[in-house]
Amino acid sequence: MMDERTNASRKKPAPRPSPESKHYWQAAREHRLELPRCNACGNMWFPPSQSCPHCLAADFTWTRVSGLGKVFSFVTYHRVYHPAFANDVPYVVALVELDEGPRLLTNIVGVPPDKVACDMRVRVVFDDYSEDVAVPKFAPLDATAKS
Amino acid sequence: MIEPSRELRDVCAIVGAGHSRLGRVPGVSSLDLLVEAMHNAIVDAGVKVTDIDGIICRGPDESYAHHQQIGARLGINARFSTTLDNGGASQILGVALATMAIKASMASTVIVGFGRDSWSRTHSSKEANVRNETRPDSLLAHEFGPEYGYFGAVAAHAFGATRHMHLYGTTRDHFGAVAVAFREHALRNPDAQMKKPLTMAQYHESPPVVAPFGMLDCSLRSDAAGAVIITSRARARDLRQPPVSIKGFGSFNNLRGWFADDNMVTTAAKNSGEAAYRMAGLGPDDVDTAQIYDCFTYMVLTQLEDYGFCKKGEGGPFVASGALRMGGRLPTNTSGGQLSEAHAEGMLQVVEGARQMRHIYPAERQVAGAEIALVSGHGGNQVCHSTLILGRA
Repeated sequence: MMDERTNASRKKPAPRPSPESKHYWQAAREHRLELPRCNACGNMWFPPSQSCPHCLAADFTWTRVSGLGKVFSFVTYHRVYHPAFANDVPYVVALVELDEGPRLLTNIVGVPPDKVACDMRVRVVFDDYSEDVAVPKFAPLDATAKS
Repeated sequence: MIEPSRELRDVCAIVGAGHSRLGRVPGVSSLDLLVEAMHNAIVDAGVKVTDIDGIICRGPDESYAHHQQIGARLGINARFSTTLDNGGASQILGVALATMAIKASMASTVIVGFGRDSWSRTHSSKEANVRNETRPDSLLAHEFGPEYGYFGAVAAHAFGATRHMHLYGTTRDHFGAVAVAFREHALRNPDAQMKKPLTMAQYHESPPVVAPFGMLDCSLRSDAAGAVIITSRARARDLRQPPVSIKGFGSFNNLRGWFADDNMVTTAAKNSGEAAYRMAGLGPDDVDTAQIYDCFTYMVLTQLEDYGFCKKGEGGPFVASGALRMGGRLPTNTSGGQLSEAHAEGMLQVVEGARQMRHIYPAERQVAGAEIALVSGHGGNQVCHSTLILGRA
């Protein structure tokens, strides 16, 4: 069963980074969640870009975040739009608001879909799609004490 | 807020409206469907095609300079001609731009239209049907989406539905009330794609797609087009049809994104609507019928709130009260809408709003005594919005 799931995961579409997101995915591969933070005004933003959407300064530092946040909203896929997700339905795609502010599109894992709720506290976990790609996902804070 | 120009109120009118065959129209391109709708609008208005000196349209996402192809098919040159790119908000924006162009003497008679062939595209293969995607791959996201199994417009809008349910206690019964009301309207529309009655029980039995949405929360995949013709009120007096006055319009674009701020529960309809009401000198209590961009059931509910027909959070009880049905407080999407008539990205809502103002329908389909119609357009990754207020001249 585990092997089957792993194989299915390997076929999932890998992110195709842009020049602006390359660092984000490199850090994720090493299981670190890092976002750009503006050196001029302190704003942190997502998705990555070369200038701060708050003050437009093009001077920022990739900064590791706590990995803690809450579910802003979520949806549950019952339909298989892509064959790589056939073993996953029903699966949850969520918008997680990090404690640092930015919101990330992600999956909620480690909990049945019908137990996911808005405002639920979550923590980042990394799903290794391959040796080269790890994808940040989120699990309920209570259930990730061991990870 | 910038005060909208009242100089544009009641300056122009819709003098012709038309639609193409709707639903499943195999072997016909979106361009041909649009020309078919435009031809019907031209005949309805009683103008000669050579009277038209303005073309505003929007093509399929992968098209280039779509208005040039339309001009070639109509066999005309144009003083004012362009293609818009605001998704489902483009069609009303086209009516607004036509009014501005006429006021600026850049054109005298403008045709605005949109057509699509989504039924044919999504039924071209089994894979296309499952993916339900009408955009070419080059326009889809390459990261921050597909790796999570995030695809399609259903899920994007379902995010708003979940959040609204969480904040305000909205339920699937409320979404179902929208679907059932619009199906009732479609059954009175002989051209509508959906022909069978829909009960609340059937709504709840429909298969889940991306929860909280099931199949019957989603608008139709249609081959469909609509078009309207706009000219000055002065010129309209000499034409065949009773003119439908363009009383106000507005637009707003939450470009920070659908996932930013509270945009998924308070949409750009709020600011767009306020601008349109101000231009028209009217408010929600003056509106007799609404034609709301119903890509998904939830989007009707939240826009009704944003337009002030009820308070934010009260859209569920409002639609459950029967307000949207004929004889209700606000008969809405009286053709069946995109959920049950056909989906042409808001263009058919403009057509229906104009026809309601002309009082052309038999009593069962006509909003009795309607003087003011509000039409909404929504699209462009959920953040672009436009509003049109029409009046019986």
